[in-house]
Amino acid sequence: MDIDVLAHGIVAGSLYALVAVSFNILYRPTNVFNFAQGELVMLGAMIFASLTSLAGMPWLVAFAATLITVGCIGLIEERIAVAPILARSQTGTGWVITTLATSLIISNFVGRFWGPDPILVKPPALLSMESLDILSSRISSYEIALILVTLVLVLIVERIYRTLKGKAVMAVAEDREAALLRGIDPGSLGRWSFFLGAAFAAMTGILASPVLYASTSLGPDLLLKGFAAAAVGSIGNNRGALIAGYVIGVTEAVGASLLSPGYQEAVIFIVVLAVLLLKPEGLFGSPNARTV
Amino acid sequence: MKAIVSAPLLSAANVDAGYGHVRVLEDVSVDVRQGRIVVLVGRNGAGKSTLLRALSGLNRPTSGRITFDGRDITTARPNGIVDAGLLHVAEGRRLFRRQSVADNIELGRYGLRLTEQEHGRRVAHIHELFPILQEKMNLPAGSLSGGQQQMLAIAQAMMREPKLLMLDEPSLGLAPVLVDQVLAAILALRAQGVAILLVEQMVERALEIADDAYVMQNGRVIASGLAADIAAGDALHAAFMGEHGAPHHSEPRQSQP
Repeated sequence: MDIDVLAHGIVAGSLYALVAVSFNILYRPTNVFNFAQGELVMLGAMIFASLTSLAGMPWLVAFAATLITVGCIGLIEERIAVAPILARSQTGTGWVITTLATSLIISNFVGRFWGPDPILVKPPALLSMESLDILSSRISSYEIALILVTLVLVLIVERIYRTLKGKAVMAVAEDREAALLRGIDPGSLGRWSFFLGAAFAAMTGILASPVLYASTSLGPDLLLKGFAAAAVGSIGNNRGALIAGYVIGVTEAVGASLLSPGYQEAVIFIVVLAVLLLKPEGLFGSPNARTV
Repeated sequence: MKAIVSAPLLSAANVDAGYGHVRVLEDVSVDVRQGRIVVLVGRNGAGKSTLLRALSGLNRPTSGRITFDGRDITTARPNGIVDAGLLHVAEGRRLFRRQSVADNIELGRYGLRLTEQEHGRRVAHIHELFPILQEKMNLPAGSLSGGQQQMLAIAQAMMREPKLLMLDEPSLGLAPVLVDQVLAAILALRAQGVAILLVEQMVERALEIADDAYVMQNGRVIASGLAADIAAGDALHAAFMGEHGAPHHSEPRQSQP
């Protein structure tokens, strides 16, 4: 196994970690897994690709426009597909179907609108996808930047949870009714979290697109592996998600290099199953971390 | 006594409330005046906690009217009721056990715009009333003893400087010396002008410190008046024995948290 395999595993793992973090952002105050998360990632990549590669918009403007657009779509999803379910029962699981439905609706529209062809997205100025020859590895400057940006983003998100609003989100996650009695409005935090979680998903899509291309198939792939990273890293734990993302990314890369690439998904999910069988709460959670 | 003639701070009039289709409270009327300690007594299942839940907006009344500080809060949302100054420390403390004591105290002021100075002043006030919390600020709330948790739950509410504090079974599961501390804190709060609505199974202790009392049975108020009069009257006896109860008075069973 050469260092290349490891490097590309870390690059892919960073993307899985970002998807997992976007899951966590939404999950914490609502206890809802957004099954449309993968499609929001894909939507981010597609909108950004269209704005830059097709419409020629400057990188930063397109980036901001994409985040806001997808954030609003997340908010609409929360209003239509999640809030009405939670209003009826906090412990209801109807959101499994409604978020899955949202996912299918987005996927269908995007397929109609953009078609199946992947769009090439160039990295921002100063970075490129050309491989550098450091340590005999074929990693590019963009991929190195992606790894670093992921680390910074996870630290920023963790920092946000140290603010009073962030602590309130954690309070809602632990005991919604107790939070209500302290004047915390879980509904408002839920809406914000859907907006930010969707925008974060869109950002993940943008960051992924120079590596993976922007295409409609981006959604399901990142959904599954991002979900796996969230579960292995313990749901709600962002640092856990980062480590788990790396584990899954590297496992995938190693599996593909040792076996045939056709087995890489099987290898990942065998590892995921093994971890969750041994430690159902994930690698970084305590067994009683979830109180219901 | 001027407080008695002024309008009550909290007034629940003819309230019906319950859970889903189960009606627990029937035609309950309760008043709490400024700066007084009011105790609700009655057996388990008499509807005391349900009444507190209705007052704090967790269970919306199906009929009746609740006013607080001159505002109708019958259909207000829990955070609106908290903002109005009516705080509910629920049974079992309901702290955020995974967060530190300091974070729990800080969460008590969620949504309030306080200057650093004012925040510091309120925290200092809490440390004055509950010195033990000062030593534990960085520990997770879940690691505290039951008595310390109760103090922390009251401290959280104090961050908002409430006009009325509702406490549900603050002595539950506490050692006697800690019960004394909690009751002393309640008296200290009253001295600062905070009204207290107390649900308590230690009936005799509660009636000792209370000004007014309500006796509840099967979701209704069966007697009310000055705490001293209730302590001396028959209603209390009837409430704890039921119509066909045991012939001798015994300390009511404590519910499990």
